[in-house]
Amino acid sequence: MATEPPVAGAASGAAPGLSGGKHVATGTPSPAAGIPRVDPVLDALDPDRGRPANVVETHGLTLRFLDKTILSSIDMGFERGTITALIGPTGSGKSTFLRTLNRMNDKVTGFRYEGSVTLEGRSIWAPGTDLLELRRRVGMLFQRPNPFPMSIRDNVVAGVRAHRIAKGRQLDVVAEQRLREVGLWDAVQDRLNDSPFRLSGGQQQLLCLARALAVGPDVLLLDEPTSSLDPISTEYVEALLAQLAPALTLIVVTHNLAQARRVSHRTMFFYDGRLVEHGPTDQVFEHPRDPQTERYVTGRIG
Amino acid sequence: MPRKRRRVVFTVLFRGGTFAALALVLAPAAWLLASVIAKAVPHWRWNVLWTALTPTGGGLLGPILGTLILMAGVLVVAGTVGVLAGLHLAEMATPRRSGADGGTVLRMASDVLSGFPSIVLGYVGYVALVVGLHWNYSLLPAVLILSLMVVPYIAKSTETALRQVPTAYREGAEALGMATGYSLRKVVLRTASPGIVTGLLIALAIAGGETAPLLFTAEFSRTVWTGAFVHAHGFGYLTYVVYTFWDTPSKSANYLSYDAALILIVMVLVLLVVARLIVARSQRYSEGRTR
Ligand SMILES: Nc1ncnc2c1ncn2[C@@H]1O[C@H](COP(=O)(O)OP(=O)(O)O)[C@@H](O)[C@H]1O
Ligand SMILES: [Mg+2]
Repeated sequence: MATEPPVAGAASGAAPGLSGGKHVATGTPSPAAGIPRVDPVLDALDPDRGRPANVVETHGLTLRFLDKTILSSIDMGFERGTITALIGPTGSGKSTFLRTLNRMNDKVTGFRYEGSVTLEGRSIWAPGTDLLELRRRVGMLFQRPNPFPMSIRDNVVAGVRAHRIAKGRQLDVVAEQRLREVGLWDAVQDRLNDSPFRLSGGQQQLLCLARALAVGPDVLLLDEPTSSLDPISTEYVEALLAQLAPALTLIVVTHNLAQARRVSHRTMFFYDGRLVEHGPTDQVFEHPRDPQTERYVTGRIG
Repeated sequence: MPRKRRRVVFTVLFRGGTFAALALVLAPAAWLLASVIAKAVPHWRWNVLWTALTPTGGGLLGPILGTLILMAGVLVVAGTVGVLAGLHLAEMATPRRSGADGGTVLRMASDVLSGFPSIVLGYVGYVALVVGLHWNYSLLPAVLILSLMVVPYIAKSTETALRQVPTAYREGAEALGMATGYSLRKVVLRTASPGIVTGLLIALAIAGGETAPLLFTAEFSRTVWTGAFVHAHGFGYLTYVVYTFWDTPSKSANYLSYDAALILIVMVLVLLVVARLIVARSQRYSEGRTR
């Protein structure tokens, strides 16, 4: 990000603040003191303005289990507020890639990586990184709904409690707000103290989504989030993801090509341990550059 | 057709086999229970519960209290050590580089310990604690030796219960950014608690029903417990009464023997019922219960 020299702006007489480069809102009085500053207003409108466009980036990321290389040299950026679909046949390393992004693989025996992953420009493996805070910011939803064996309400606020984001009566507010956000409130408001396992599979997955959202993540990783759900629930979850996208950055593994097409902005195609192709979803599906991608998206392999 | 007939025959044989096995387990238990009740109830008097033993008869206050105190001591000592050992084996022992489970040495030691005959443990207690440390026949050596006996059992049941907690819960907790210890307390242990509690209570029942190691460490005494942990002159407990009083010439001592057996059985039943209740209560939110 370019920081315009203060003198240039005043001397050139260009339209204040709107010309060329951007100011960094430093709070120090600018030389053009008479003119109202536009930047703070813009910053307030879009707090992300000063941050890198890519929330998550990987640079030369190579992932291995013991001596087996699962993926090699992946360079990829995930743009803020977008949905990226990860597609490819089973065993092509989609889950491994996804689970690396919130360091869920770190403890897996034999896992090794090269290269780097950055979150807001900082390596997720940088010394001094707070792993728990990283996982608060990069949440995860699994293939099979996995509510905890506690009441529905306690499930929603489990992470909020762990991170001490709220306590006491505030927890009820958080629970209601998040359940409303995923559209589950009407269905469960009378049985907040019941077991979550009485809910349908789709409702359980929504509960897990509410639980993940409750800690206020920036990025949400979803590993085949609808593959154990019925078509109606799937459609509902898809619509919900589309709604979440501008505020959150979503990375979704899916086996459902139609789903990838419907919900994602960008698509990454993994095959045989490689990231074969990535780009805007329309392009990957309609004008794939690689013949393997074409064979996969037209249903001839996988 | 013959294939179908074979299947039917097999099914019938299998059913018969399982039924016979069930009967083999149930019949002796029922017979035991019935005979103890038959022997104890006709001459039952309630003041057995609150009068002390005398050389000629009296009641079972001392032995009842003794057994309860032994169980409480075992719960504290073996419960703590056993649950922590199980926790270590299931959660903390670092895996081998080959990927195999860690804690091999501790697990093997525990298995070996559980293989010792209880009377050998009693003798060890006698040599090391009663004589070696000059503790004499008293509460502490008895509790320690009984604990030594049931710790492997508690560790094993705790480890098993923890290993049965679905990976999905652990991963869910991890992905939410819960610290390992926090998720252990709030998610994992909560899920495993029925198994752990059941293991603990059964261990207590085993400890309450032991005689051999107590002969070496507590001997026996008619006096009600005075509060001493060591340097006592023996210590009363129910199994001793069952074991020695039944063939003494004194009729009232014979009666006390059956009374003691009945009380022990009732204690064990209470423990089992309590275990059931705790399990039912903590499983309100478990995955298996959807109704
Ligand atoms: N913990 C592990 N240890 C060793 N190999 C693994 C492990 N997890 C996954 N793999 C291997 O990594 C490859 C990619 O798996 P995965 O990422 O699950 O693929 P996908 O999600 O695309 O189906 C597979 O060949 C799988 O066998
Ligand atoms: Mg996968």
